[in-house]
Amino acid sequence: MMRLAAKAMTAALVLLIAGVAIGAPFVPPAPPAPAAAVTPTPRAILKMALDAPRLIDYEGTKIITALRNGRMETVTVAESHKRPNLLRLEYLSPEDVAGRVIVDDGTTARHYEPALNMLFEDRSIQDGGAGAAAGLTLLTRNYDIVLLGTDEVIGRQAYVLSLTPHGTGVQRQLWVDRLTGTVLRSEDRDASRGLVLTTYFSRISFSLNLPEAYFRYRPPAGTRVVSLQTVAGGTLNPAQLQRQVGFPVLVPPALPEGYTFRGGAVSRFGSLVSAYLRYSDGGNIISFFEAPAGSIGWPAVGVPVRVQSQPGRFIDLGYFRVLIWEQRGLRITAVGTAPSETLMLVAGQLIAGREQALVTDVSRRTEADPATVRRLRSEGLTFPEIARTFAISHALGTSIDTTVRFVHGSLSVTDLATQLRMRPDALRAAVRRAVDTASMTPVLPAPAPSGPPAGLSTP
Amino acid sequence: MNHHRAGRLLSAYVDSELTAAETRAVQEHLLDCAACRDAYENLRAARDLLGGLPPAEPPAEFWAAVRGPVMRGAAAAGALGGWAGRLRAAWASVARFPWPGIAGRRPGLVLAGALVALALAALPLVKGTVDRLHATEIGVDLYVHDHALQMGTAPLVDRAYVGLVAGDAELVLAGNAPRPIGDDVR
Repeated sequence: MMRLAAKAMTAALVLLIAGVAIGAPFVPPAPPAPAAAVTPTPRAILKMALDAPRLIDYEGTKIITALRNGRMETVTVAESHKRPNLLRLEYLSPEDVAGRVIVDDGTTARHYEPALNMLFEDRSIQDGGAGAAAGLTLLTRNYDIVLLGTDEVIGRQAYVLSLTPHGTGVQRQLWVDRLTGTVLRSEDRDASRGLVLTTYFSRISFSLNLPEAYFRYRPPAGTRVVSLQTVAGGTLNPAQLQRQVGFPVLVPPALPEGYTFRGGAVSRFGSLVSAYLRYSDGGNIISFFEAPAGSIGWPAVGVPVRVQSQPGRFIDLGYFRVLIWEQRGLRITAVGTAPSETLMLVAGQLIAGREQALVTDVSRRTEADPATVRRLRSEGLTFPEIARTFAISHALGTSIDTTVRFVHGSLSVTDLATQLRMRPDALRAAVRRAVDTASMTPVLPAPAPSGPPAGLSTP
Repeated sequence: MNHHRAGRLLSAYVDSELTAAETRAVQEHLLDCAACRDAYENLRAARDLLGGLPPAEPPAEFWAAVRGPVMRGAAAAGALGGWAGRLRAAWASVARFPWPGIAGRRPGLVLAGALVALALAALPLVKGTVDRLHATEIGVDLYVHDHALQMGTAPLVDRAYVGLVAGDAELVLAGNAPRPIGDDVR
């Protein structure tokens, strides 16, 4: 038996050698299948993009195409970044910005304008990734984030991410570098006007040891230095703001889906003092500037409009839209990327001025103390947000203050779930149920009552 | 723009007091005219030199010498009555001040100096009015500037674009560029 087996093996070996000799195809054994490349989730890619400024240095040439001075213009910028928050921008073209330099150390932005030999000192134009966590929470909550695939940008592989707001505002598409998380290309689209802003690097270098001195700007001799620190105290709530400016501060009763209060500030320029309220959905911002009507005139530009029968003016700046109107002694200016109809609706609700009636209505619906509703209004919450806060607080048994942090996006689902010892999925479902029961349609504007501005009742 | 008109506007150009159209016209003329370029450089150098001078303070005895006689003169001028009397008393006191050198012999110069001092004292009031007028003109640009800066702190917003918008607005706020408006219907 053993002899037979040995003969068979020998025969097989001979046949195999013979086969090779006569050129029969040799099929090598298949290599082990490679582990499938793990594609990160859209959220993970977004987080990588948000974290990148704190981790990566780069230097490159960026091309921006945007509406400027009434027409689409292409601007070339040499952009350098040193982690975590040093930024240098040198504008190369077109001619009217060529030579402009902005150097930002995360606290102060210094803008040098060579044609005027002037240096403007202003607030920083970045946060160095400090708000990345809150930004990620708001973006994942208020945007559909979809990975469209991968693409090549200047020879580098990039994830293509689409961010579409649940509410209103520009839709953004990002090309995120696979290795560093740096945004290599971006496109902002407006629902009614299409592409309103594109940016892309035509060249970029990473892992440079850029000297810190490169991010300190020393203007030429004889430069006139102008301090333009127009905004102070960006974390005030409306009640604190009202005390600082000395006139009533109006808080919008309702805003587009996802927009939440992100801070108030005093804006000063010469004798013009304005209260500044900022609302964001994580990706877009709506700003409200309120000033006594007598302190500022109507601009000579824009299109005259009527907001709830009140005279107003609408200015389309391309990427931004501006709506200005007056109500009861205040001149209010809203600036944002939201459509004009949305800005008009928000303005109409402010003009309606039904603050006390809405406080009573929401208190009754949510079985909440009117004083607490007023306190939350003085902290900048809209009425739908307040209704949501009470509903979630009742459903989860969380305190009002904790729930407000959750509604504002300062507390993520994961953080709250950990606090409550719940699974994030279960928490999401519970919040969804609570919010559905508390859904509060923004109240339609009613004719403006006469009399002094209601403002906030200071707690 | 001809050479003569450009020459007349140079001083205002150096002080950034021209309209955008005039500024452009002067700039174009400067490119072609060497004489105006020289004049412009001289004016700019003079402005920088004056701008760098520290503010002059009058000597301490000036105020004592003015205040005392004015107070006495005001009492004595009661008989003259009203502003006329007070002015005469003040003028007499200024004339009595022991001005060094030529000033003592030229009271007209002293009067001019006093008027300049008065103008300087009134400057904050005038400046407040100018600020208010300026605020009227720049309201939209100021708010777009503040909004753009806040946008810069939002995640994933392009900082180079924010810098462009904020930089443009800063030029308008400083009175040095045309208003960046998309649908101008003035």
